[in-house]
Amino acid sequence: MKITWNWLLEYVDVSDLTPQEVAQKMTNAGIPVEHMQRLVEGVDQVVVGEVVAVTAHPSADRLRVCTVDVGGNEHLTIVCGAQNVQAGQRVPVALVGATLPGMKIGKSTLRGVISEGMICSVAELGLDPHVFPKEQTTGIFVLPKDAPIGQDINRYLGLDDLVMELELTPNRSDCLSLRGVAYEVAALFERTVHMPMPILQTPTIAPKPLAVQVVTEKCTGYAGQVVDDLELGPSPMWMQMRLVAVGMRPINNLVDITNYVMFEWGQPLHAFDYQAIHEQQIVVRQAQAGEQLITLDGQLRTLSAEMTVIADPMRALGLAGVMGGENSEVTANTTSVVLESALFDPLQTRRTGRVLQLRSEAGLRFEKGLDASVVTAALARAADLMVQYAGGRIASAPVVTGAALQKPTGTKVAVRPARVWQLLGFHIPLDEMLNVCARLQFPAKIEEDRLVIDVPLRRPDIKIEEDMIEEFARLIGYDRIPATMIEGPLTAGKLTKDQHLRRVLSDHLISVGLQEVVTYTFISREDLNRIRVSSEDGWSQSIELLHPLSDEHHILRTTLLPSLLEVAKMNVNRRQLDLRLFELGRVYLPKQLPLTEQPEERLLLAGLLMGRRNPEHPFRSVRTFDFYDAKGLVESVLGRIGAVSKVTFERSTAPFFHPGQSADMYLEGMLCGRVGRLHFNVESAYDLADAFYFEVDVQILAHVAQDELYVAELPRFPGVLRDLALVVDRDLPVANLLQTVREVAGEDLVTISVFDVYTGKGIDAGHKSVALRLFFRSLSRTLTDEEMETTINRVLAHVNSVHGAVLRE
Amino acid sequence: MIWGDSVKERLLKLQMQALAALEEVQGLEELEAWRVGYLGKKGELSSVLRAMGTLDATERPLVGQIANDVRINLEQAHKKQKEALQMVALQKREAQEKIDITLPGRMQWLGAAHPLHKVIRRIEDIFLGFGFTIAEGPEVELDYYNFEALNLPKDHPARDMQDTFYITEEILMRTHTSPVQARTLQARYPELPIRIIVPGRVYRRDDDDATHSHAFMQIEGLVVDRGVRMSDLKGMLLEFAREMFGQNQEIRLRPSFFPFTEPSAELDILCIYCGGSGCRTCKHTGFIEILGCGMVHPNVLEMQGYDARELSGFAFGMGVERIAMLMYRVEDIRQFYQNDVRLLEQFSTLAR
Repeated sequence: MKITWNWLLEYVDVSDLTPQEVAQKMTNAGIPVEHMQRLVEGVDQVVVGEVVAVTAHPSADRLRVCTVDVGGNEHLTIVCGAQNVQAGQRVPVALVGATLPGMKIGKSTLRGVISEGMICSVAELGLDPHVFPKEQTTGIFVLPKDAPIGQDINRYLGLDDLVMELELTPNRSDCLSLRGVAYEVAALFERTVHMPMPILQTPTIAPKPLAVQVVTEKCTGYAGQVVDDLELGPSPMWMQMRLVAVGMRPINNLVDITNYVMFEWGQPLHAFDYQAIHEQQIVVRQAQAGEQLITLDGQLRTLSAEMTVIADPMRALGLAGVMGGENSEVTANTTSVVLESALFDPLQTRRTGRVLQLRSEAGLRFEKGLDASVVTAALARAADLMVQYAGGRIASAPVVTGAALQKPTGTKVAVRPARVWQLLGFHIPLDEMLNVCARLQFPAKIEEDRLVIDVPLRRPDIKIEEDMIEEFARLIGYDRIPATMIEGPLTAGKLTKDQHLRRVLSDHLISVGLQEVVTYTFISREDLNRIRVSSEDGWSQSIELLHPLSDEHHILRTTLLPSLLEVAKMNVNRRQLDLRLFELGRVYLPKQLPLTEQPEERLLLAGLLMGRRNPEHPFRSVRTFDFYDAKGLVESVLGRIGAVSKVTFERSTAPFFHPGQSADMYLEGMLCGRVGRLHFNVESAYDLADAFYFEVDVQILAHVAQDELYVAELPRFPGVLRDLALVVDRDLPVANLLQTVREVAGEDLVTISVFDVYTGKGIDAGHKSVALRLFFRSLSRTLTDEEMETTINRVLAHVNSVHGAVLRE
Repeated sequence: MIWGDSVKERLLKLQMQALAALEEVQGLEELEAWRVGYLGKKGELSSVLRAMGTLDATERPLVGQIANDVRINLEQAHKKQKEALQMVALQKREAQEKIDITLPGRMQWLGAAHPLHKVIRRIEDIFLGFGFTIAEGPEVELDYYNFEALNLPKDHPARDMQDTFYITEEILMRTHTSPVQARTLQARYPELPIRIIVPGRVYRRDDDDATHSHAFMQIEGLVVDRGVRMSDLKGMLLEFAREMFGQNQEIRLRPSFFPFTEPSAELDILCIYCGGSGCRTCKHTGFIEILGCGMVHPNVLEMQGYDARELSGFAFGMGVERIAMLMYRVEDIRQFYQNDVRLLEQFSTLAR
């Protein structure tokens, strides 16, 4: 919402204060003044002049030589290139030495003729040509005939007026008018508002008939009046410039007056061409489904029964509260109008505007709800302005109908002073509360232990006690609220087990060198295609947004992989080739599609590794990540929460993995994650190479995460190491071999580690040598060589019978 | 006498000889040979002492004394020489093992938390210290919790469809973390006090640009109890601002509007760039806005069955990205979601 300083001063006298002081206080009271600047900055020594004569330029076809009267003793000679310049026009003239936005005017010679200044266009004056009528923006700016010659253009056009842009919160629709802002400013500075209610006038000429029939409950009040003898033309320059300043385009005197009054009183008005109304009868009704109307913007609109129309007995004339119809538009031939000031249902107006995608200043005000007490005042004000500035005469008695307009009254709000003190935390004397009510011009009286306040209709945001408490705090100043600490029992600030686990997991990955990332949760079907997810895969069961912003972000992710791949791709494009990324993020798994209930949101820990596995150093070989690095990292995560021995790895069939280098992880029979090298086609879809991905389901890990520990007794007897190199079938999974060893190694076996896997020279084709290191230790005695011999022989015999394993020669 | 003198002389001569030889010894091996040669069981000293047997009883103690002195002298000299030689050997080894200590160490990669999570954890920790717990809720939320339970009935102008990603008519992407307020009030009823902090992702139908993102993070707080005052809100947020932005922070409340609080306020802190003297960031006001807050609207409490005449509460919420942008001077909100590792890796050096 924009207002101007001079406009505001018409209703509330704060001229003893600076605009900055007023803006500051408004901002601190919850009506933030976002911007404040002159309508146009940097115009100097530009005055109103009259073009006395126009002659052809002796040596340039496109230039004219104008004689211009700027009120001085001598006329000026000014060369002008605009085609619309004519003798008798009043125009803005930049004198020699004048400044315009981005320009300085000196005496110049144009094709041999000396020019003593410049006749200015709208744009040259620093005004936005888009908000001016087209005829005023082609060529020079032609001013009205009554523009006083010699007057400074800043003063004449109000270019030096300050435009204040208010950032209103949705509740303060009262400030969508100068009137509302004036009451607010008056309350802040303890002033009075000068804004008498205009009164509806009776006809001054032979009355024309007008009947109004409201047959829908979506219109709670309607006031209309005929104004005749109108002369369509431009509205007065000051009015045009005020509309320009607040962002409205001046159109003609009739339309400008309705807009001006809307800004002044907050009540949208509409003018119908009286000639267009059949039987001089206005009917306010719900539209018929499928009924059509061409609106003022030239669009054919198909209406529904959830819309209200203003009609005559034959047809719709306009969409109530949203936009007028072309069939009843004010045109150059209009001499008589019906002025309308009405109350339409806010919700329905809002829906209609939304469905038809029509947003207007009028619609904005209807949506928020209007002040029923100014409906007729606004009508009277507009009629009066039409008489004053459009030659009109009141040509009918006002027609006022609707329950809302019968004695409109505001709300009563009861306030308990004790509650005010309790809620704010400090004591406000009763007198001060009454004073706030007086400043707001809310009548208030004390009834027993409470304050009963009559809130006028102009403040629909104040409905309950707490609303009034805010008004007290706001006008006394939030600065008066002291700073205290909450009272009551102490409570323990603590994390839940799951929250703890998340911190442990991410801290662990960070400490082993991974970089945490945060990515968007919206992806696209195309992303799923790129990771080779087909319609049979669970990942394809994704939730779709009704109105996505773009094709790249239209479904909710079911896996973190595409997000991490995007990050990797972007970094690789920027020559960052060593990536160790992880994200702790949710995926969204619908229970059924289309969605009938909230989906399951599962928290996954996912990571992507590529490039060098450690920083280079002269005394360390650098190699790139491989499957075992990725698996080791996942095992370290599991190890960190005491779950590593509970997880088994099986070959994965996930479509995005290299089938030979990927594993699914099972925890107590439940799929809890996966790790592997990405499929070549996935890598190439993202221009990556040798990338490894892992993900684990944090919720499943939470079930087994170890959160208690009793230390094991330290061994008192030495252990024994035995190394075995076993030759087995090349395809035998080492895990199986280890399992077989464990079966017969006895309870003294503490650990088995695999320290070498070898194929090649010395080993038969189709076989491999697996070197195992077995560590035995007993808690009760020192193990003897004989015992060990027996155990090792038992192991060798067993692995031989199960896997055909033999000791390497 | 003669024999005695002669043994004594031999001993002293031996001592002189041995000490001279010791001077010449090079290295620990030669030293050992010297020790065996002079002090060993079959060494020179032993053989001289064997001659003691030929002395007469009167001379024996005296010569014995001398012999013992010689042994002690030689042993001490040996010990001293041994230490000297060991030192030399050690120094030689040390010299050989000398490396260029200016070469960089063998580092592991350093990881880092994402800046948004760093900010969230810091805020969480401050409020954990105040006795709050952390509450969370679904991002795919019901219209009821996201709007209706927060005093935003259907068709309320403040819930414009433009701003919300709907999935069905009743299911949507939450537009703020506030539905967790309603959920917590509902789940904990009638247990008091409620003191929670709620971090999480939220979604708005905004085109992405330098200051807007269709997805961002909020962190929000809620306190409900008997006798909770707006001054408590102010006091707690002042403590928070000081913990977060420095002990000399000051706060300012300005009236504002949220459908789920009344009275409502915006909270400004002293500009963290200029400290309040005025700069471009704070538009020369000395203050910057960091969060919205207010007293819980009675409708919000009553919808979950609480008696709003008896109880009261306050709530506050802030955009994590905004805080992170201010704290770390990030210019473009999209950088948090782009994840350029050259930006993220900088956080591995942040020691808090």
